[in-house]
Amino acid sequence: MRIEFRNLDKCYGSVRANDKISLTLQSGTIQGLLGENGAGKTTLMKILSGYTRADGGEVLLDGTAVTFASPAQAIAHGIGMLHQDPMDVPALSVLDNFMLGAGRGLAQQRKRSAAQLTELSRQFGFALDPDATAGSLSVGERQQLELVRLLALGVQVVVLDEPTTGISEPQKLLLFAALRKLAEQGLTVIFVSHKLAEVEALCSRAVVLRTGRVVGEVQAPFSSDQLVMMMFGQCFSRGGRPAAPLGDEVLQLDDIAVHTHQLSVEHISLGVRAGEVIGLAGLEGSGQRLLMQACAGIRRVGSGRITLAGQDMTHEPYHRYLQERVAFVPAARLEEGMIAGLQIREHVALAKGNGHLFVRWDEAEAGARRLIDEFRVVGQPTTRVQELSGGNQQRTLLGLLPEHLRLLLLEHPTRGLDVESSRWIWQRLLARRADGTAILFTSTDLDELVDHSDRIVVFSGGAMSRPVSAADVTCEQLGYLIGGRHA
Amino acid sequence: MKRTTLFVLIVALLVLGSVVTACKPAASTEEFVFGVVLVGPYNDHGYSEAHYQGAKYAETKIPGARMVYLDKLNSADRPGTTLEQVVEEMVAEGAKLIITTSDDFGADTDVVAAKYPDLPFVHMSGDNVLTGEAPDNVANFFSKMEYTKAIAGCAAALATETGEVGYLGPLINDETRRLASSAYLGCRECWETYRGGDPEDLRFVVNWIGFWFNIPGVTLDPTVVANDLFNSGVDVLMSGIDTTEAIVVAGQRMDKGEKVWAIPYDYEGACEIKPEVCLGTPYFNWGPVYVEIINKVLDDKFEHEFVWHDPYWKDLSDEDKSYVGFKYGPALTEDQQKDLEDYIDKLADGKTKFFVGPLNLQDGTAYLADGEKATDEQIWYLPQLLEGMEGASQ
Amino acid sequence: MKARSPALQVLLGVAPILLTLVAATAILLVAGANPLAAFGQIISGAFESPRKLADVAMAMVPLLLCAAGMLVTFAAGLWNIGVEGQVVAGALATTWVALRLNAPAAVLLPLTVLAGMAGGALWGLLIGLIRTKGKVNEIFAGLGLNYVSMALTNYLIFGPWKPPDGATMSGTDPFPRAAWMPVIGTSRASLPAILLAVAGIVVIWWLLRDSQWGLRLKAVGQNENAAYRLGIRTSREIVLAFMVCGMLAGLAGSLQTTAVYRRLIPSISGGYGYMAQLVVLLSGLRAQAVPLVVLFFAAIQVGSPRLELRMYLDSSLGGVLQAGTVLFFLLVRGLRQRLSKE
Ligand SMILES: Nc1ncnc2c1ncn2[C@@H]1O[C@H](COP(=O)(O)OP(=O)(O)OP(=O)(O)O)[C@@H](O)[C@H]1O
Ligand SMILES: [Mg+2]
Repeated sequence: MRIEFRNLDKCYGSVRANDKISLTLQSGTIQGLLGENGAGKTTLMKILSGYTRADGGEVLLDGTAVTFASPAQAIAHGIGMLHQDPMDVPALSVLDNFMLGAGRGLAQQRKRSAAQLTELSRQFGFALDPDATAGSLSVGERQQLELVRLLALGVQVVVLDEPTTGISEPQKLLLFAALRKLAEQGLTVIFVSHKLAEVEALCSRAVVLRTGRVVGEVQAPFSSDQLVMMMFGQCFSRGGRPAAPLGDEVLQLDDIAVHTHQLSVEHISLGVRAGEVIGLAGLEGSGQRLLMQACAGIRRVGSGRITLAGQDMTHEPYHRYLQERVAFVPAARLEEGMIAGLQIREHVALAKGNGHLFVRWDEAEAGARRLIDEFRVVGQPTTRVQELSGGNQQRTLLGLLPEHLRLLLLEHPTRGLDVESSRWIWQRLLARRADGTAILFTSTDLDELVDHSDRIVVFSGGAMSRPVSAADVTCEQLGYLIGGRHA
Repeated sequence: MKRTTLFVLIVALLVLGSVVTACKPAASTEEFVFGVVLVGPYNDHGYSEAHYQGAKYAETKIPGARMVYLDKLNSADRPGTTLEQVVEEMVAEGAKLIITTSDDFGADTDVVAAKYPDLPFVHMSGDNVLTGEAPDNVANFFSKMEYTKAIAGCAAALATETGEVGYLGPLINDETRRLASSAYLGCRECWETYRGGDPEDLRFVVNWIGFWFNIPGVTLDPTVVANDLFNSGVDVLMSGIDTTEAIVVAGQRMDKGEKVWAIPYDYEGACEIKPEVCLGTPYFNWGPVYVEIINKVLDDKFEHEFVWHDPYWKDLSDEDKSYVGFKYGPALTEDQQKDLEDYIDKLADGKTKFFVGPLNLQDGTAYLADGEKATDEQIWYLPQLLEGMEGASQ
Repeated sequence: MKARSPALQVLLGVAPILLTLVAATAILLVAGANPLAAFGQIISGAFESPRKLADVAMAMVPLLLCAAGMLVTFAAGLWNIGVEGQVVAGALATTWVALRLNAPAAVLLPLTVLAGMAGGALWGLLIGLIRTKGKVNEIFAGLGLNYVSMALTNYLIFGPWKPPDGATMSGTDPFPRAAWMPVIGTSRASLPAILLAVAGIVVIWWLLRDSQWGLRLKAVGQNENAAYRLGIRTSREIVLAFMVCGMLAGLAGSLQTTAVYRRLIPSISGGYGYMAQLVVLLSGLRAQAVPLVVLFFAAIQVGSPRLELRMYLDSSLGGVLQAGTVLFFLLVRGLRQRLSKE
């Protein structure tokens, strides 16, 4: 199906998210859609798939103008979208989710749907258990579920919004293979990302957006420098990582065990020194998240001891950890990190203003402005955080972190950030080392792990490897470790 | 936006209001307006409706008489609305007489009456005039339902096959105690006289729900209580409450094939709900009472008095004369009705023992010595249920 | 979609009023009444004289206080169905003080107020603890405690606090004069009660807008989990929210006993707790709008007896009107929100 955008406009208050966008996308291809944070990628795709309406302009499918009042209408016209955040119903089973939106659900149909699900999964090599609840799946699996669901509904156009954030390397390869297969079958695939390598590997054509406008269209093969130029208007070189002296031991884990009904993490012992950065590698759900939560005091440890700067903190409540200057930045930004519905300045007031009876709105406003300037957030102090683009949410979250931390725990610190922003965020994070802050972070991006860690530990099925020095390890070696083999 | 909306709404209502009130018809001069305050719904097929009908009757009998009424004056239905507000509203309507019809209005009636010393008030079923608490412009009127309750009790005795009679009581006070006891006396008398039974074999059980009608969450649910009574072996259920649960439940059980009967209360037409189970209805016939009160006010003969009317024995169902009545129910057989008529005759002539000793209270203490006849006051202030009755006295 | 034309804006603005009026008119026509006259009766019955205005003001008192309390729990994302019980708890505590303490009015009255607030707060505390410690949804906790409070009232009225000459559903004996909130002249309006209610809503408006506490509540309400992660002690805030709400509701109950009924009656709360839910929802959770909505409800309450007296309308019509109005208002507002989203 050929898709044409003509003079598409969309404003959120004073922000022009899409500014007179005109584009044509041919069927049977994988189209890249690139752009820095807040460029308007998600907005454009939401208009296409019926989640919002444009203020002006039109969308044409194979030459006929269409407007969609709802995602269901878009799907009926053959357009389906996979969101940056999974949109399934966590409490329902995989099969139930699969059948959602199909508009039928009798027992007879159920059998047929189950068969269809198995068939589609087999075709793409997905391993989806129809009876598991969607909530128990990893991000990658939820994405697979969403994809086969849309295909079952007969979509001709698949939009994927930053699909590779938060999924594992094998899952990514599986996904790419699936997308190629779909393109061969004549479907149009739109791949939204700011990861150049992925776009280069996958797409036959790429469109770059900046501040809501189309700034370029290129055919494969791409030149990275050219893309970067178009995205940011400047070129970057990957700077080396300045070393920092390590201080005393800040965090000491002695034979920690954490249990959930899905996974047990056992025999974790680790010492972390002030100014040290430790990367936690591993497939999603291998236990690194549990360990992070234990170190933040959010999850009870089954046994073992957590010592923080010489104090036993093993069974202390979360707010004691906060007092001891431990901070945790969770992966689910809008679920655990920030409060949808509240403005940036309200977050600032909450984070900084304790101890006063009344909110100093002027101070909060100023603080928010400082955060916005410093962390280059596209937004106003009064912007509600759910209105920020994914990357800007992440920046805000990082901007809200208190100064002078002892231990900083980060899950996927640059998820959803473009290259420029990630580089810059890491600069800021690493600068904290001078203050004696120890950093623990998880990531699925091997380059990120190698580039920024002092030592790396690899999780696999709840077990943690011995720490390896980041300077001595290659991405290939890490890949083996993550896969559960020894290099 | 919303604020302006509301503002406009209020202004719009205000404007409308001023337009309409400007053309309110003037009250005609010969009109006599009287206010009636009801505790329950005016169409409850029970106590409140009986009053409402009584007042309507008075309107037809006395030219120019016009009732204004407000029903459901209780804090569950009208939170925050006080009797004082209502009376004020009625006075504004031109009311020259206020009749408050529930026991619950007693204290408030006295307070409000004190604020309107020139306005006659009648409080029904209270005795504050007797006790001296009421101001001079208050009178109490009531009718001797005791007799018709006894007749109802007799009907129950005539019909019961299990020898167990239930009484669905409202809340416990002097009035309800003496009415339940009257029913028991009639029941026991007829059980012995016409059924040849031993009083020891008669079970008469009173269950109180807590108020004159069901207030969910506050009272017991009368439907549940009625069913419990039937489940316990009762086959005739008498109602002492203002609403119709007793006959409704009995009807449902009859439809399921059980042999049960009911005797509703208060409202003449109450049998119509389920004629097949209805043995009869003792009812207040407020019409003549309202006529009497209004005439007294019109003739300037209104007094600070306590009036307790006897039935019109010549014809209990005479709507112009009898203050209380008993309407035979379709479920009564011909033989039973004959016995009942016989009992009524004896009651009228005083030939049967009604509140005549020897009688003991429920806890066994003596109430009336052998042959002693209770005074009105003794009956009015009956301190407990009588010996032989089941159920709480306090 | 193009930006909406001003005409459409205006139309959507007045639509709730028009529709509610149309609905009310339809209801009245079905009931066989002249709608114009009926509206007029309500209005004149509520506003025609200073005396009536005083009644309206008094009718506003409990609703204002309950709504103010509920703004707090709503801000924290809690459905405090238990306001009913909190009103009762306040009334019970007040009654205890009024009947048991022998003191001059200057001492007794402040004590009744404090007792009412304490009683309501205690009731709120219970709900809060059940919710946070027992992990029971606050709706069930609140409903359960509502029933407990009613049972307790009946027990007290029919037991320990019954009048010497026997218990009735008309409640306890009137309080001693020292426990009567003073009224203005011969009206029924009690200045202290009105001032307390005004203070209640103003203080809550202010706190919710400008205090750290208000902001924390909002955070808890929007996302309890994330608020916890941000370092807010969510359990404590939730319990506190229930207590503050209970305090205000308890004050409402207290004033119903000392300023309106002058005694404890069985259903002292009179459904104000539930009505306050509607008020708060209608005002879009905004404190500034609450007084206007409350005025509307109070006017109907005070004005409808006249409507019934004059027009011989069935008394349930007042309720139908009120409910219908609320329903339509919400309906149209929902519609407008949907339209303005696009
Ligand atoms: N619902 C909304 N309300 C207000 N502003 C919004 C809303 N959604 C997006 N915006 C703004 O529109 C602009 C474009 O956002 P969009 O989500 O399309 O960016 P993006 O290209 O997907 O960025 P990212 O890579 O960070 O996800 C941003 O400045 C964002 O703040
Ligand atoms: Mg995006």
